[in-house]
Amino acid sequence: MRYFSSIAAACATVALVSYLPLATKAQDKGGDKGGKFGPVGPGAAGQRKDNAPKGPTPKMPDGKPDFSGVWTPTNFTAMGQPSLQPWADALYKERRANLSKDDPEGNCLPAGVPRISPFPMKLVQTPILIVMLEEGNVHSYRQFFLDGRGHPKVVDQLWMGDSAAKWEGDTVVVDTIALNDKTWLNGQGLPHSDQLHVVERYQRPDLGHLSVDITLDDPKAFTKPHTFNRTYSLLTDWEIHEYVCNEFNVDAEHLVGK
Amino acid sequence: MSLGVRIATAAALLGSCMPIMAHHSFAAEYDATKTISVKGVVQKVAWVNPHAYVWVDTKDDTGKVITYAFESLSPNALARNGWTRNSLKTGDQVTVDGYLAKDGKPLSDGSVHGNSKLITLSDGRKVFAGSSADNAATK
Repeated sequence: MRYFSSIAAACATVALVSYLPLATKAQDKGGDKGGKFGPVGPGAAGQRKDNAPKGPTPKMPDGKPDFSGVWTPTNFTAMGQPSLQPWADALYKERRANLSKDDPEGNCLPAGVPRISPFPMKLVQTPILIVMLEEGNVHSYRQFFLDGRGHPKVVDQLWMGDSAAKWEGDTVVVDTIALNDKTWLNGQGLPHSDQLHVVERYQRPDLGHLSVDITLDDPKAFTKPHTFNRTYSLLTDWEIHEYVCNEFNVDAEHLVGK
Repeated sequence: MSLGVRIATAAALLGSCMPIMAHHSFAAEYDATKTISVKGVVQKVAWVNPHAYVWVDTKDDTGKVITYAFESLSPNALARNGWTRNSLKTGDQVTVDGYLAKDGKPLSDGSVHGNSKLITLSDGRKVFAGSSADNAATK
């Protein structure tokens, strides 16, 4: 509980604040100008703050909300602390004691669902499909089919799972199963099993914001379902950037933990 | 003590935020209590993922060259903060503030392994500011 209860909000603030001032100071000293992946110079780092544009929710031609855009998470610690089964709790404590040295992400493996990376993701929407393109998370993608196909009868265990989606009013409900148990739910090592079932309810209440109510149900690893809300803000002048994690990943052999 | 190199022991800060800046845990790889300040010459810069690296040559008391390899942020993060692969060049005189790796082992090329939090050029410009330690440090 130490990590996720009363300090969660403070933590998020520290995370954001610590990301920003360094960069701002550096720009004051004259970082290079120019850059195709986002604004540079004064204000660039401020994008991390919630300064999303104001306006009404964009609509598709059929009147449904259009979720398209480049989005950055704004509350990194929102997941909080699920109630864990004893084996999962023991594993979680072990991973924390080892300072997350065995995080699959450190080996440039996919982060899984619904873990987020510090980098933006992009949603591209058509009338029957929403695609999520991850800048981090080793460039993983997710596909939310809205044509009613549901889950396949037989699915492998996958790093990013199998997602079936549907509209409920102006909300897109994404149901994800078939996740392997190799990923961690967060950087602290929060575990899950191959029974993890994730339901995400995506809403775009206005132009600049994305709100996702997330329920994690894992009867093997949790004692009860766990629900939280994650928010994103729209980045109007950032594009997602190439990030080829395995290019020069010299870290793995030096991750010694304690 | 090597010329231009100072290793100070700093009090470990108590932190508990999630590591959000890197694809790996800072604390599992670097020692936030082993701060280091290296003054030397940039040997090369690798604008690569998942972290840019900067190699800096310095000399010890006997004149022997010691090379440090500093992990920086990822190129996408550096680019968004206004820097490019040309912000730091071979031959630049720099002071690098950062941390040493926990395992004390050199990289495969023999260089001393560290993590940079700030690189200051001789004209005072500061580049490649930021470290995965900023969030994950010292827990």
